[in-house]
Amino acid sequence: MAKAIVQVKDLKKVYDDKVAVDGISFEVEKGEIFGILGPNGAGKTTTLEMMETLREIDGGEAIIDGINVAHDPTGIKRIIGVQPQTAAFQDKQKLAEIIEMFAAAYGERVDPKEFLEDVQLGEKASAYAEQLSGGQRQRLSIATALVHSPTVFFLDEPTTGLDPQARRNLWDLIREVRDRGVTVILTTHYMDEAELLCDRVAIMDKGKIITIDKPKNLIKQLLGRGFKKHQEVQQANLEDVFIDLTGKGLRE
Amino acid sequence: MPLSKQLFTVLVFTKLSTRRFFRDSLALFFGILFPLIFLFVFGALSGNNNVSFNVAVINESHSPFANSFVTQIKHQKTFKIDKNATTLALAKEKASRGQIDGIIVLPRDFGTVKAGQATPSGTAEVLYNKSSSGTGETLTSVLQNIFKRINGRFVTTKLPFAVEGRELNEKSLTSFDYTFAGLLGFSIIGMGIFGPVNVFPELKKQGILRRLRTTPIKTWQYFLATMFSQSLTGMVSLAIQFVVAITVFHLKVIGNYLEIIPFTILSIFMILGLGLAIGGWAKNERQAAPLSNIIVFPMLFLSGTFFPRFAMPVWLQHVTNFLPLTPVIDGLRLLITEGKHLTDIGSQLGLITIWFVIIYAIAFRVFRWE
Repeated sequence: MAKAIVQVKDLKKVYDDKVAVDGISFEVEKGEIFGILGPNGAGKTTTLEMMETLREIDGGEAIIDGINVAHDPTGIKRIIGVQPQTAAFQDKQKLAEIIEMFAAAYGERVDPKEFLEDVQLGEKASAYAEQLSGGQRQRLSIATALVHSPTVFFLDEPTTGLDPQARRNLWDLIREVRDRGVTVILTTHYMDEAELLCDRVAIMDKGKIITIDKPKNLIKQLLGRGFKKHQEVQQANLEDVFIDLTGKGLRE
Repeated sequence: MPLSKQLFTVLVFTKLSTRRFFRDSLALFFGILFPLIFLFVFGALSGNNNVSFNVAVINESHSPFANSFVTQIKHQKTFKIDKNATTLALAKEKASRGQIDGIIVLPRDFGTVKAGQATPSGTAEVLYNKSSSGTGETLTSVLQNIFKRINGRFVTTKLPFAVEGRELNEKSLTSFDYTFAGLLGFSIIGMGIFGPVNVFPELKKQGILRRLRTTPIKTWQYFLATMFSQSLTGMVSLAIQFVVAITVFHLKVIGNYLEIIPFTILSIFMILGLGLAIGGWAKNERQAAPLSNIIVFPMLFLSGTFFPRFAMPVWLQHVTNFLPLTPVIDGLRLLITEGKHLTDIGSQLGLITIWFVIIYAIAFRVFRWE
């Protein structure tokens, strides 16, 4: 087993009297896509935000690539890329300028065109952010998070609100990022997304991690416990029909 | 990160936010057009620099002397004669509403040659409201002066004492020259405070500042970039106002631009600090709007933007001396229209610097990224 690049031990977050994250521990290996699943309010976003230095850690510790998040937040900021739940950009700013701005935030100068092409927005370099569709905005957001070649990339519910084509496109994009050697940690409440995209998943509920494993293993374990779906197993589902009829081509 | 890289961050942010300003029609309106509107309004108001009185003239006498007296004062710039106030009753009504400053009544026997006299004579009456007694007295003495000249033509006596007014021509300030510094102060406030106060809560709401917080950018870098871009756009706005003031309203700039510009930049920095503190602290518009109004409005009224401070009671002048905007407006006025140098306005510079330190100390402390 490769050495874990992210080590989370007993992480805790308390708001007033409500425990949002209740002493969770997990490790993420270099170059994998790790999913944190759970219903709304399970503590996924809070967990991510503590690792991203946005929220104070109330207990336990998080170490990314040997750097302790609580001790050296600036060091962490330099090696992580963050995509927030909603991608928002200032109006009247061209895409190329947004890339330029985020690179500058790390003190770096980059070729914006190259980063925009990576997310299929090369032609939109001189468009304003407010002219983009939801999927395009998510892709721009991904590009801004990669300008400084981060080691670990966090995505918070990246495909929420996107149409099936845009979702598939984003999955491909996330895989490409992983293939470049970036470790990806994402949250989602779409099980199909987790099953197709994630190498391993942690399932969270009420601030605790219930289980961590590969999606396949988790399904196997469930079946091993004698679980049977009431429904007849179909060879295709409605989404397959939708994609078959409307194609995989990206709409914007 | 080395300092050069950190400053590179500041420069790129400055460049991009300045560009954004010039693309944003709303920002252009409030930053450039809005102050210009005020400039035109106040310029037009103070365009007529001569003291004049709105008067009604009730001529009850119809002697040739009275008639020619009326035509004569009609041609004087000092009087604006209300043509609608034809009867005494109408004129009194207008005076009571403050629409005219006074009523000049020429009684029936005014300007007739009385028995046993060689020249015409008479006493004109000036009626005015108790509430505008100052204006009334001035009006009376202006008329007295006119009569003195007329008397001189009829009787040649030399009085032992007299007074004669002469115009000072050097560096004479028009009231517009005085107003202009206040208008500059108004636009510095408008851009420096209302700018960030409107923008920051929106950036927080959309999570844009939060996203920036996941990058290594520091608050001071973000502040510095905002200060630079604000002073760039502010200088453009102020330069346009100078051009309009000089070409349209004949502003006389006596001071040196090399002193005016650095003083203006320092002032923009200091006032912007207030905006950064309020906008940086506020979680949303509902917190930002009332607080900024509480801070801005007293300054607009008490720092000499629209109302000259010398007209205030002395104790109030002492208090308002210390408002952040007061040294800005006083300093600008001294530099631009009174030809003073930076070395002459040490007290203003000192006060601005003290405020600068206090305001930014607070702004850094209360700034929130979300």
